Amino acid sequence: MLLTRRNLLRVVFDVNAVRPQKDTLVCVFLRGGADGLSMVVPFEEKAYYRLRPSLGIARPDQTSGTKGINLDGKFALNPKLAPLKELWDEKTLAIVHAAGSDDQTRSHFEAQDLMERATALETGVSGGWLARHFQAQPAGDRTPLMAVGLGPSLPESLRGAPVAMALESFDEFHLGRNATSQAALAAALDRLYGTADADLARSGRQSLSVLDTLEKMRQQAYTPAAGATYPDSDFGRSLLSVARLIKAGVGLEAATVDLGGWDSHFGQALLIDRLQEDLAGGLAAFRKDLGPALDRTTVVVMTEFGRRAYENTAYGTDHGRAGVMFVLGGAVKGGRVVADWPGLEEGQLEGPGDLKVTTDYRDVLAEILAKRSGQTQLEKVFPGHEVKFRGLFA
Amino acid sequence: MNRRDFIKAGSAASALLATGCEKLRGKVGDWFLGAGVPDRFAVAAAGMDEHVHLLNRAAFGPWPGDLERVAHVGADKWIEEQLFPDSIDDLACQIRTRGFETLHLPPGEMYEYKKPVVEKELTRFTLLRAVYSKRQLFEVLVEFWTDHFNIHIGKADCAWLKSPDDRDTIRAHALGRFRDMVKASALSPAMLVYLDGRENRKAGPGEKPNENYARELLELHTLGVHGGYTQKDVMEVARCLTGWTCRRENQLMKAKVEFHRGQHDDGEKTVLGRRIAPGGMENDLEQVLDIVCSHPSTANYIAEKLCRRFIGDAPPASAVAKAAKTFQDTSGSIRSTVKTVLTCEEFRASKGQKLKRPFRFVVSALRALGADTNASPALLRYLGAMGQAPFQHPTPDGYPDEAMPWLGTMLWRWNFALALVTNNIGGTSVDLPRLAKAMSAPESDPAPMFLRLVLGREPLPVEQEAVASYLSASPLEPHQKRAEAVGLMLASPGFQRC
Repeated sequence: MLLTRRNLLRVVFDVNAVRPQKDTLVCVFLRGGADGLSMVVPFEEKAYYRLRPSLGIARPDQTSGTKGINLDGKFALNPKLAPLKELWDEKTLAIVHAAGSDDQTRSHFEAQDLMERATALETGVSGGWLARHFQAQPAGDRTPLMAVGLGPSLPESLRGAPVAMALESFDEFHLGRNATSQAALAAALDRLYGTADADLARSGRQSLSVLDTLEKMRQQAYTPAAGATYPDSDFGRSLLSVARLIKAGVGLEAATVDLGGWDSHFGQALLIDRLQEDLAGGLAAFRKDLGPALDRTTVVVMTEFGRRAYENTAYGTDHGRAGVMFVLGGAVKGGRVVADWPGLEEGQLEGPGDLKVTTDYRDVLAEILAKRSGQTQLEKVFPGHEVKFRGLFA
Repeated sequence: MNRRDFIKAGSAASALLATGCEKLRGKVGDWFLGAGVPDRFAVAAAGMDEHVHLLNRAAFGPWPGDLERVAHVGADKWIEEQLFPDSIDDLACQIRTRGFETLHLPPGEMYEYKKPVVEKELTRFTLLRAVYSKRQLFEVLVEFWTDHFNIHIGKADCAWLKSPDDRDTIRAHALGRFRDMVKASALSPAMLVYLDGRENRKAGPGEKPNENYARELLELHTLGVHGGYTQKDVMEVARCLTGWTCRRENQLMKAKVEFHRGQHDDGEKTVLGRRIAPGGMENDLEQVLDIVCSHPSTANYIAEKLCRRFIGDAPPASAVAKAAKTFQDTSGSIRSTVKTVLTCEEFRASKGQKLKRPFRFVVSALRALGADTNASPALLRYLGAMGQAPFQHPTPDGYPDEAMPWLGTMLWRWNFALALVTNNIGGTSVDLPRLAKAMSAPESDPAPMFLRLVLGREPLPVEQEAVASYLSASPLEPHQKRAEAVGLMLASPGFQRC
């Protein structure tokens, strides 16, 4: 009766063995509205420097000052995103510019919510887009660690998922005060849930196998591969946890990670420099750490909206429309900026002076699901949206 | 407690009432007021299953001593008492929740406080009342109607407006007349914001009214999605409600609800086959309420939802029919309808059929062990991790009732159970030795008594064996493993269902 561990192992192993290989999809949400025009700079646009006299990132060919890193002769990376240049060069990183949703409220809550549900409140469709993706998969493919929200609670994108778990760190799931006591508790729970009704029995068994997996991972000290160094931040730690889960082969199919604080109404540079370093440093370390596992991983970075094209009088920018997305992965056709660039001149902007959305964020997500995430049903995940692929994958 | 303690406690309690200081409230006051753990109480025994079942569903589980109370007065009398919550003295709970200033303010004054303050006060208040109120059925219904008229405090300024909605819509009518509650909700600033009713005005050429609220009124609040209304009815209801709005953030007397005659579409309308004459102005709302609240589909829909909450995920049609009949016969008396549900045969036969949702799981665990908690963020965090933080459901359908979406929360339940019994949740503590003494559990082996306390019944052999084998396998100190064993009981499948 003691030591369910071997049995649990078998459960995990068997399930992994029969599942078709799918990518792990890592969704990074930059909360607060990240300024795409500072992150990936359209330096050939004269209007850019007119609209952003003090916040504009200088052309790459400037001799002095904070200048951008040339990508393709039209766009430049913010110098604080320098670690991403290497990924661009190895062509695992694609940038989707002028991307966003059709949200017109410019409200953080509404726009984040819309993006995570991928459908309007009124449609009667409930749950998040990732949740609907998992609902569309065969029940037999479900494994306990298939969907993890790194953080104190699940994000809206995972609300309603058949299996999804909020996880802040590997250390938070402890049953007992010491290993022997924990094993005794696990054995007792295994016995109790073994005689429960089918629903609870399955749920209990899955939870025990998660505990077992996490316990084993805790026992092995983890050193990121290839000397990768993650930023010392929540974001860095979350990505490190995701890398561990991926490399441990626990069946992770989707992980969500948040990086918040992008709402740069004043003193923008000070605020987002640090965040950009965190973002780029984290992603570069993640890529290095994954090594060949990047071939089975796709990372998508999104934000609820970009920011106004012109700076305000407080050296900040206000809520706008289109922003920038990043897609990183072994299968990504990278080294490209994918955009129907709408332009920044008068008449090209929208509303109070915002970059137009010319790529619907759902097209990016849909292409990832369709090409890298096994079985899905796009018409259920993105109801009412006619999907157009952008050729993000080879 | 001897006489001197009693008097001391009494004066302490009146001092507390006078100051209303949250920090001062404590065991002494609660003791005197009867909300603490009794010095002696009996756990579930043979023949008490019905009472345990009643407390599991019509309350958030038994508090130590509650079973004796129900056994003493009888189930029917207990239900009758609970149906009239104002008659139940609830001073101890009132003291615990007295420090929350924002709960008493009109909508406009809520804005004097910062968002985290108003959110936290309402959330903590909700949890504390669920744990400590003696008006348990009332609190259970508050939870039910909060889901039914869901408002997400993350949207726009609902954080400030939900608290008045909780007080003036949900709590004011939780056991009252259904139509009154729908009306209060229709004119609640929080609902006018959450479902965009305040945007709904007479359409100009080529425009349409904002039908968001009208749709949810029919689909979620009254008739139900299969209730027999059409898209045309939605549009017509939206027209009837044009002109109702509440003042915006940058206006004086913010959140004040008013009717703008100029923005009302005062033409003729037809709602669910009934004609509404032109010129009705604000009275159109009353007519709509009359039509939708008296519609037979509404009786069925509310009856079915109540039965799903109180009886089972797929409630027997016979029970729904009985409840719907009461609803119809009493013109939507919630009190009478709930009474029908709680006293029907199908209710009695439904033991163990519901999976506790996270909120009920957490509250019932705190109650089972007579925990002392201030509902701190450390405790609320568990509800967030399990996906049921109060007032955080984004879509208007409210947190789901069915078991399925909650089955993935087991690990967090176990984590919570173990943290609770080992006093590892900030602001929350349990006194297991005291409980053991009050139950007269044998000092050498209190586990069997705790099993009966937690499960509310004679434990099954497998439950006894699992606990016993844990106790013999664990190398911890006796008091530590006894505590963990209680955590194991709270984590067991038997405590997940009710």
